[in-house]
Amino acid sequence: MSLHSNRKRVVITGAGAISPYGAGISLLAENMLAGNSSVLFNEELAQIADVSSRVSSTVPPMDFSHIPRQFRRSMSKMSLYAAAAVKEALANAGFEKAPEGTSLYLGSTISAMETWIDFVGKYQRKEFDTIKTSVVFQVMNHSPLANIAQAFDINGQGFGICTACATSLINIGCAYQAIAGGFTESALCGGTDEYHPIMTACFSIMNAASNNFNDVPQKASRPFDASRCGIVCGEGCGVLFMESLESALKRNAEIYGEIIGFGTNTETKSISHPSRECISKCMTFALKDAGIEPSGIDFINAHATSTLAGDIEESKAIQNIFGADITVNSLKGHIGHTMAASGALELIATLDMANRGECAATINLDKIDNACEGINHLTQKQKLEVGTFMKNSFALGGTNCSLIVKKYE
Amino acid sequence: MTREEIIKTVDDALIKEFELEPEKMKPEANFFADLGLDSLDAVDMVIVLEQAFKVKIRTNYQVGKIMTLKDLYDYIEELVKQQEQLTEQQNA
Repeated sequence: MSLHSNRKRVVITGAGAISPYGAGISLLAENMLAGNSSVLFNEELAQIADVSSRVSSTVPPMDFSHIPRQFRRSMSKMSLYAAAAVKEALANAGFEKAPEGTSLYLGSTISAMETWIDFVGKYQRKEFDTIKTSVVFQVMNHSPLANIAQAFDINGQGFGICTACATSLINIGCAYQAIAGGFTESALCGGTDEYHPIMTACFSIMNAASNNFNDVPQKASRPFDASRCGIVCGEGCGVLFMESLESALKRNAEIYGEIIGFGTNTETKSISHPSRECISKCMTFALKDAGIEPSGIDFINAHATSTLAGDIEESKAIQNIFGADITVNSLKGHIGHTMAASGALELIATLDMANRGECAATINLDKIDNACEGINHLTQKQKLEVGTFMKNSFALGGTNCSLIVKKYE
Repeated sequence: MTREEIIKTVDDALIKEFELEPEKMKPEANFFADLGLDSLDAVDMVIVLEQAFKVKIRTNYQVGKIMTLKDLYDYIEELVKQQEQLTEQQNA
């Protein structure tokens, strides 16, 4: 008997989001369906010489003073965002606190840059004795995981998987596998990140940061468009509460969707460029895991970050596996690339849209790049019956992920 | 620096750093039982007070014996006095 036939069904029963639109999951689909961009001109970037990108997509200022000081003191912004998102996800799932034994899968791309820079500055100025203990807990690689576990008393398995832009989707995928395999009954999972201009500078070094639309920031992120010129970096946190179907049914929980397949692999031909061959394999793994044919997918929410190479490779891989009729969008035109949060935030938004029966267009897709043709790009929001969709996330460093979500029946 | 000035400086620094309620700042208040601080706060308290009084504290083993606000006021008062005497000697 195969593991496949023994595994438990895994459902999504809660979600929480901190996005550049603000706090709350409902803001995502609402703003995306309205075609709103959260991208703004960034004054701080303008002060950095040799970085030509001047745009970013950041979370509006929020008050976190309600988080008790003993938890807040070791939280940089990414953990604060995660605390707000986890609180919403638990409430959304019908809990005041995390159920006993809940597991936590939460990561970020890189550490809390602002805290690190301050830390290193003091070290270099020989002011090390002025550094407070809480700083150490802000810059650990697994700081969000540790902080959220403490603040919410989440005492099951704890994994802080960090795979750059695929972080939240791989955490969701691994949580799905753990629940399906019977290793845990429920899990909070996702990714979180805080913006720092260094993030944009890193992509700028690789000529992959958007720099031709600084004077019209809302046009700066334009996946699949012929005049796209790179990523707009952002921040946020997306978290799902997932559990076995039997657990959800036992407590009569509202079920928002079911995860039926997950695929992941590693690009080994290039550390920076995903290839259509490797992406194709990743999506095929997810289909195989779900036990469905490509025709079983109604819609794909692409990773598509608005880079020159990545959008082409993903388009061609999708065309290769699904053919020309598959409907595809990217939500990064709206909120830029929210890094470790992107997979979860875009998954939450797409699930909401699937349940509403209406999907947002890829905004700023004024003229489809010839090299990205061959699939059905959503250029206008559209009423769509989406029973099953795929969400893709691909990372610098080579981690690819594809997750398949189905409406619960 | 007078004792009243020392008490005010200590209280102001700790209230700000640890978000303490001013009415709880009583001499007999125990840092752990009454003010809700922990071992990490104790380390950070030293840093905060070093910056507030421009003195070096953490190398002194007596710090470990401080349990209440009064213990702290006494300790800082003694430290400030020594510092002032040293400065006077150096200026003489």
